[in-house]
Parts: sequence; C-alpha cells; structure tokens
Amino acid sequence: MKYDAEKREVICKKELNNLDRFVLDFVDILKDYVIVSGYVSILFGRSRATEDVDLLIPKMDRNEFGGLWKDLIAKGFECVNTSDMEEAFDFLGEHAIRFFRKTPVPNIEFKLIKTDLDKYSYENKIKVVLNEKFIFVSPLEMQIAYKLFLAADGTDEELRPDKDIEDARHLYKVFEDKLNKEELLAFVKKLNVGKRLRLLK
Amino acid sequence: MKFAEVKVDLEELKKFKEQNAMERLDFIDFWVNYIKTHSDKEWSKQQNLIIDSQIN
Repeated sequence: MKYDAEKREVICKKELNNLDRFVLDFVDILKDYVIVSGYVSILFGRSRATEDVDLLIPKMDRNEFGGLWKDLIAKGFECVNTSDMEEAFDFLGEHAIRFFRKTPVPNIEFKLIKTDLDKYSYENKIKVVLNEKFIFVSPLEMQIAYKLFLAADGTDEELRPDKDIEDARHLYKVFEDKLNKEELLAFVKKLNVGKRLRLLK
Repeated sequence: MKFAEVKVDLEELKKFKEQNAMERLDFIDFWVNYIKTHSDKEWSKQQNLIIDSQIN
C-alpha cells in the first residue's frame, strides 16, 4: 500500500474480497460520498469482517434521492427500512437507512452529513485506488481519533479487547510514518481521548 | 459439576481479560508488520479467508 498524503491518495493492489466488491458495487452508483468507521480499517487490512459499512452523503432533494433509489433497486439493492422511496427519503431526514443485496448482512448504513466531523470527513476524504476502481474514505487522522472515542467507556488503565481500539491501532501502525501528527493530536484533543493515545503505540 | 458448585474468581478473570486484551493488541502489531513486509496481494489473500468465510 502506498499513501501519498499530499495527493490524499492510497494505492492498494490487494485482492478484493466479497465485502470490497459489495462496497464497490454500491459506491459505483453514487457521485458524492465518504465511507467512515470500521470498513476503513478493514479496507486497509484489518483482519476482521463487519456487518455494516457506514457511508455519509451530502444532503439531497427528493428528486435526486428518487434517481438514486431507482439505480440502487436496478442493481439489486433493497432498503431494510422500507420498500417505499418516499418513506425512505423521509426516514433519511431523521436517521440512517440501510441497504443490502440478497442477504441483510453486510449492509450499507446510509446517512446524511450532519455534524462538523461528518463534514470534515467528506471535504477531506482520501481516494483509495483499487486497480481500476476507487473508494473514498475519511481522513486517517480523524478516523483514528474517532475510533478511540467510540471505544467503550472504562478506566483509563484498563486495557479492553475493544474492536474500536484495535481498529485505531491498526490504522495508526499501518500509516504511522505518513500521518499528520498535528492533525491527529488536534482531533484527539477535540474528542477528549488523550488518555487513550497510549493504546496506539 | 453442577452450576451451583461453580466458583468464580473475579480477580483471576480480570487478569485473564487484561492479558487477552494485551495479546490482541500484540497480534495487531504482528499483523501490521506482515502487511508491511508482504505484497498487497499476499496479505489480502490471508484477510480474504476471514472475510469471505463470513460474507457471501
């Protein structure tokens, strides 16, 4: 894997797995999006699977969503929450909706960009080139800090087998030499997870 | 043994839990080293054994 931090691009020549193909088939239909959370670690080699892939999209109007819905259905995707496009659009304004193909797992957790962290992820996304295809994922520094934040609460001294801590450590170790440490520390501070930094090293 | 006879040493279990967490973090370091010292094609073959066994 080669990460060019300036170009915000990772070149990865991995053999694709079923989860990668599922995600690529879904994002092929989208114009603008960013993938966040667990799948980012998995894409970069973490040795675990997941039941869902978190994907953020900019706000869209009912017509745009209608077009997207039609394309997703044509490609064999179904919405977990409802089979009615109008209802799905209304749900999306309130919470995430999920799409699957054939089986409920894996599925795409499809959410609108709402918070500043979402917005930052989208505006600073990284392009991951997988042979002739590509996927956009959130910036690594923010991703690592956010994973530290997601980890279950507990005493700072207690080491727990927590998948979020493990995901953060995996990303940190894989990209250690290329990370913007100033940016990482800024997000660690904003998310108040400074005491968990030691779990990365 | 009947369930009523089972004794649980919570201190011992806590130590086991912490040891297990440490070992899992150590394995992540081992695996990242594997990723860094092998081609994308090689490490992804290993990863795909796990993922493709769980996701069709």
